[in-house]
Formats: sequence, structure tokens, C-alpha cells
Amino acid sequence: MKISKTLIQAMLVAVTVGTTVSCTKSVDSKPEKANIKTSKTGSDSTVVTLEPCFACGMG
Amino acid sequence: MPEISAAISCNLDANILLASVPLFESEKIEALEWSFDTLFKTAVFPDWFNELLHTFAYENRLIGHGVFFSIFSAKWLPQQQQWLKHLERLSTEFKFDHISEHFGFMTGENFHSGAPLSVPFTSQTLAIGQDRLKRIYNACKCPTGIENLAFSYSLDEVKKHGDFLNQLVEPVNGFIILDIHNLYCQTKNFNITFPDILDLYPLQRVREMHISGGSWEDSKIVTGKKVRRDTHDDAVPAEVFEMLEYAIKKCPHLKYVVLEQMGTGLATTESRQQFQQDFIQLHHILHKEDNSVITQVVQDFLPATIFDGGKPIEDEQLYTQQMVLSNILETANDCTDAVQQLQKSNLSHTDWDIENWQPYMLETAIAIAQKWKNGLPKN
Repeated sequence: MKISKTLIQAMLVAVTVGTTVSCTKSVDSKPEKANIKTSKTGSDSTVVTLEPCFACGMG
Repeated sequence: MPEISAAISCNLDANILLASVPLFESEKIEALEWSFDTLFKTAVFPDWFNELLHTFAYENRLIGHGVFFSIFSAKWLPQQQQWLKHLERLSTEFKFDHISEHFGFMTGENFHSGAPLSVPFTSQTLAIGQDRLKRIYNACKCPTGIENLAFSYSLDEVKKHGDFLNQLVEPVNGFIILDIHNLYCQTKNFNITFPDILDLYPLQRVREMHISGGSWEDSKIVTGKKVRRDTHDDAVPAEVFEMLEYAIKKCPHLKYVVLEQMGTGLATTESRQQFQQDFIQLHHILHKEDNSVITQVVQDFLPATIFDGGKPIEDEQLYTQQMVLSNILETANDCTDAVQQLQKSNLSHTDWDIENWQPYMLETAIAIAQKWKNGLPKN
């Protein structure tokens, strides 16, 4: 499916400057309060912590 | 057969996104599966992520996959009510093509920790599961489904799972996610062939499939026994792709096949390239011309009516047993210790059938429960 180039650029910027957080370094390094940091509505600087989908029972 | 879309399981995870960007650029990703309840600590999403979700939703290609609802918890939890409200809100914001959840009840006291484990296939558990699926449908008002579980304690349980799933989704006219890697685990763990397992599933209910990789674990109590686990942290095995090709032709209402991998397994350039290769292979399989199956009946996977909310079905005895089992699995020193505790517990000589659980699978259940009891494992 076609995704706009602007959106892909925004995704690339987000992952390269660290506005998403990989599972590998998410929970351990930050206290819970920091994980909820959402400084402004719709901000591209939102920092999130993902609880991974361990799914299906065998993980 | 409707056109089948190649999808990825995608979330706000840097490694998954880094692995997926080339696939987005090449326009090969045809649908997005979003585990909407895993971002429970995030009040506001980045603009670009909202736009990504809306882009797929606008084309009716966004599907939701819950993780934490715990449909077989025998006690109705306040967090489940909150989960439904969250889903209801998201369903007005994003137009999901369907919503699904995992089979099982979650171990762990915290709603967002623990692992899903199976339940006895009885009229009581069936009633609880049907009640919960009706509530999910009422919240999302779109096709509602459930995924087959990889974990089983016994071959007998493996053989009964498909029929139980069929009964479970019947009141909501729901669908089944057939996780091919989960079935692959069962073929390896219980020495049963893939066609034999597949024959036991209501394939006319399959609207979505999952493929993923996993890992092997040596049993400490059965010499030479390796247990296959659905850890979502490695490439898709060639045999899983073969199983997928075999299964596609038998599922007339299949609409999505999703490649799942955890971000933890995509930390290196090599693993991301492998993920991309797996997805391209999936895309190729789905767009082969010989994948067409003549569909006689249009299936919208929608029930005739909204359900009466009413009082949630609960079962105090079953809930107590679930808590006892969770506690044993999360605290047992080893399999022998767990067996001794189970024999003395209120699960002994009940529908749980603990007397016939395979020891190496009990060992695996302990490993899973202890891995996830505090939420995300520390690497």
C-alpha cells in the first residue's frame, strides 16, 4: 500500500533520533514516570515504552 | 476468496520500524496489525504514528490485536472494563477492519504482566469466553476473533483446541486467527503432523493467519527432548512457509497474513534484513495465482445483533484454581516441585486434567510464567 514520502521521512527521523524506544532498552533504563512522558499533544517528541506482544503463550 | 493482504505486526518500536521502513517504501505492506493495548503507558502518540494508523484504517487495512484482556479470567476485573472502554474509544478514532485477542487466561497479579495459559475445555470456560467475546464485539462493533494458542499441556488438548475455538466464536459469528508457527510448535512438541492438526480446525472461520519464528529449549527432565517455543525472536522457518502455503488453500475466507516479530529480535542489521526477506517471501506466496479457492458463501463475520451487556459471567472456583496454578507456576523451584504442589492443590482430579500433563510442557509453562511474571523480561 502506498504511504506518503512525508510520512516515511517522519518515521525515519523518529527512529533515527530516538523518539521511539526499542524493547531492548525500554523498561530497564527508565523509571515508570519517565515512560509516560508526553510533553505536548501530538508531539513528535513523545517518548514511549512498548510492552511487547509476547503473544500466543509460548514466548 | 477475497484478496489476501500481506501484513506486519507494527507498533511504536524503533527496531520494528527500522526493519519495516524499506517495506513501507516499496509499498509491499498491504495491511497493519496493531496491538493497541500494549501502549498503555502512552497517553499521546506521535503525529506520524497516528498518521500511519489512519492511513491504513482509511483503506480498511488496519486490524487490532489485543494482548492483555485475558478472556478466560474467571473473575471479571475492573481492568477488563477499562480495556473495553479503551477499545471502544479507539474504535471510534480508527476504523478497524477487525479486532482479535489471544486464547487463555493471564497469569500474574498485574493486568499487564504474566503470560496466557490454557484452560480446561468445559461448558463453564466456554460460557466465560463467549461472554467476553460478546463484550469485545459490543465495544468494537466490527468482526471479532481469537487466536489459537501455541501452548498445550497434552496431545489431547491439542486435538480439542480447534473445535473449542469454533464453539467460542460461534455466538459472535467470529473468526479465528490461525497462527501457523503455533501449530508448528505443536507438531514438534507432540509429534503430530500439520495436516492432521489442520483437519481439526474450523478452517471456514479463518480470516487471519500469523507467521513468525521462535526458539528451541532443551528439556531438563526429558533427555533429548527439545521444546519449540513461540518466542517471536528469530526468522520464519522454511517449514512454516511450507505450512502456510498448504493452509492458505484450505481457508476460503482468509484475508490477512501477518508477519510477527518482537523488536528485541530485530536489533541488528542482519536480523532486519532477514525480516525483510521473510516478508517478501510472504508477499510472494500470497500473490501466487494458484492461491485462489472458490468461495460459495460471503462471510462478514458479524453477528446479527449487539449483545445485552448484563452481568459478566464469573466462576469463583475456577478463579481460585487459576490463581493457585499461576502461583505454583510462578514460584515452583522446578517441575518436580510443581507436580507435588499441583497434586496437593484444588486442581487435582478436576477438569484441568493435571494428571495427564506432559512433564516437559509443565516445565515449559513454568519457564513461561516465570519469564513474564514481572512484565517485560530484562535482557
